[in-house]
Amino acid sequence: MGEPEALVPDSGAVFTFGKTKFAENMPSKFWFKNDIPMYLSCGDEHSAVVTGNNKLYMFGSNNWGQLGLGSKSTVNKPTCVKALKPEKVQLAACGRNHTLVLTVEGSVYAAGGNNEGQLGLGDTEERNTFHRISFFTSQHNIKQLSAGSNTSAALSEDGRLFVWGDNSEGQIGLNNIINVCVPHQVNIGKPISWVACGYYHSAFVTMDGELYTFGESESGKLGLPKELLINHRTPQLVAGIPEKVIQVACGGGHTVVLTEKAVYAFGLGQFGQLGLGTFLFETSEPKVIEQIKDQKITYISCGENHTALITDKGLVYTFGDGRHGKLGLGVENFTNQFFPIVCSEFLRFTVQLVACGGCQTLVFASPRINVVGESNFNE
Amino acid sequence: TSEASETQATDRDDVVVAPLSEKYPKPDSEKMSIEIVSLAFYPEAEVMSDEKVKQVYVEYRFYDLPLSETETPVSLRKPRAGEEIHFHFSKVIDLDPLEQQGRRQFLFDMLQAQNPEQRHLKFTVVSDPMDEEAKDCEEVGYVYLELWQILESGRDIIEQELEIVSPEDQDVAIGRLKVSLKAAAALHSIYQEMIEDLL
Ligand SMILES: [Mg+2]
Ligand SMILES: [Mg+2]
Repeated sequence: MGEPEALVPDSGAVFTFGKTKFAENMPSKFWFKNDIPMYLSCGDEHSAVVTGNNKLYMFGSNNWGQLGLGSKSTVNKPTCVKALKPEKVQLAACGRNHTLVLTVEGSVYAAGGNNEGQLGLGDTEERNTFHRISFFTSQHNIKQLSAGSNTSAALSEDGRLFVWGDNSEGQIGLNNIINVCVPHQVNIGKPISWVACGYYHSAFVTMDGELYTFGESESGKLGLPKELLINHRTPQLVAGIPEKVIQVACGGGHTVVLTEKAVYAFGLGQFGQLGLGTFLFETSEPKVIEQIKDQKITYISCGENHTALITDKGLVYTFGDGRHGKLGLGVENFTNQFFPIVCSEFLRFTVQLVACGGCQTLVFASPRINVVGESNFNE
Repeated sequence: TSEASETQATDRDDVVVAPLSEKYPKPDSEKMSIEIVSLAFYPEAEVMSDEKVKQVYVEYRFYDLPLSETETPVSLRKPRAGEEIHFHFSKVIDLDPLEQQGRRQFLFDMLQAQNPEQRHLKFTVVSDPMDEEAKDCEEVGYVYLELWQILESGRDIIEQELEIVSPEDQDVAIGRLKVSLKAAAALHSIYQEMIEDLL
């Protein structure tokens, strides 16, 4: 048996953990001939990979047609969405049971479950192929997509936020509406730089570095004091974070925030998904994850009950619900992790992308260039 | 054959899938898995008001396995009234018919035992003192799981809630431990194999 990383090409591989439906849900990996992953996204049980050649590959559960492959059967191997091939895919966002896609030309497509209008197509009929959302034209200049549990969001280069889908808990931030089947703008009078849809709550960051949250108010996941929860249907400033916020990620019951100096977490932590230890299982007050304070974090991702962080050194830390092996910490013996733990599998890799979903995690990583003294390792 | 030649690629999509390790997955009849899922104490249980108990872990013993592999790797804050704490600590135990005869015999003995004391897998809930210098960990509860029920029903146990009883008086239930035990196929195979040897 050779070293497992000896197999991975220099251009890297997508590593899969947890219930991906790929490789019988065992930890596995795949890569592309003459192409590399540029963007990963995970929904509840389905996953998307966008490549440098602007192709979209999908796999996983497909009960709602969320893979956009023209059927509803589970797909256990990354499969190119042929119907989109004439268009160049730039980004994808997997929600609980639907998928959004942005093309280089600036079109936004949607497929999958649509019971709350989360496809943005003006109705509530599910689609098993990608349909273009006519609302968006190249003029919108979309740069980010996010999808939650029956919610969708698109953010433009100039900081305009568009949302659609389920608003029963105020999770798309439109105060007086139950749900919308076409994109609506959420305007707080400031340009927005980042958006994240969780299962039943959402958050965004303004260009001046403020964090706003909205949606289901339980268990502290909005990071707001009790007296503000009555207004949970409207985006509200999370005042408990003193520094400039860069990114936010929302899971099922928790929220993780990357600032210029630290990573904050709040909400539910009963499985360790806050990374705040074995004594704090819920907090509405944003708390710094002290264990990784000496690391420079560059990207954060939340699954339903777990969290992953990428460092500037190309390492990945995971924590939270360890079931199904989704933390990437073993093949058959698992446990919840209450503090960030480095995935040792990637010590010899540079991690470039990570995406956490309901029961799975995808990591794109490439082998580190051999350092002196290790050059004969594989020979 | 080299591993590289076993990689599969489809002509159309250019996706290359790394070969699965040959070690996994093992057939169900040659392994079992135990998961300590979660724990709750009854609000009226004495342990709830015991100030000395701040955090707890859970352990079990299995034949030759060191405790370091069969105790939850972390202690969690004592659950509050109505609260559950979640370990999700799962372990797969190799029951290979050639290499692990001892473990198979251990399970068979458990299935066959006349003495009720030896018929079950025992889990212990342990109080883990916060202070390093404090005295030893104290056992705060026991949980008994009859393996026979799995053999008899042919069904794995999935997230079953078992009573935690007080070490002082095993008639007093102090809470509930949720466990999963996937062993139906292995126990069936072990029982068949051992019975045949006996005949
Ligand atoms: Mg998501
Ligand atoms: Mg779970």
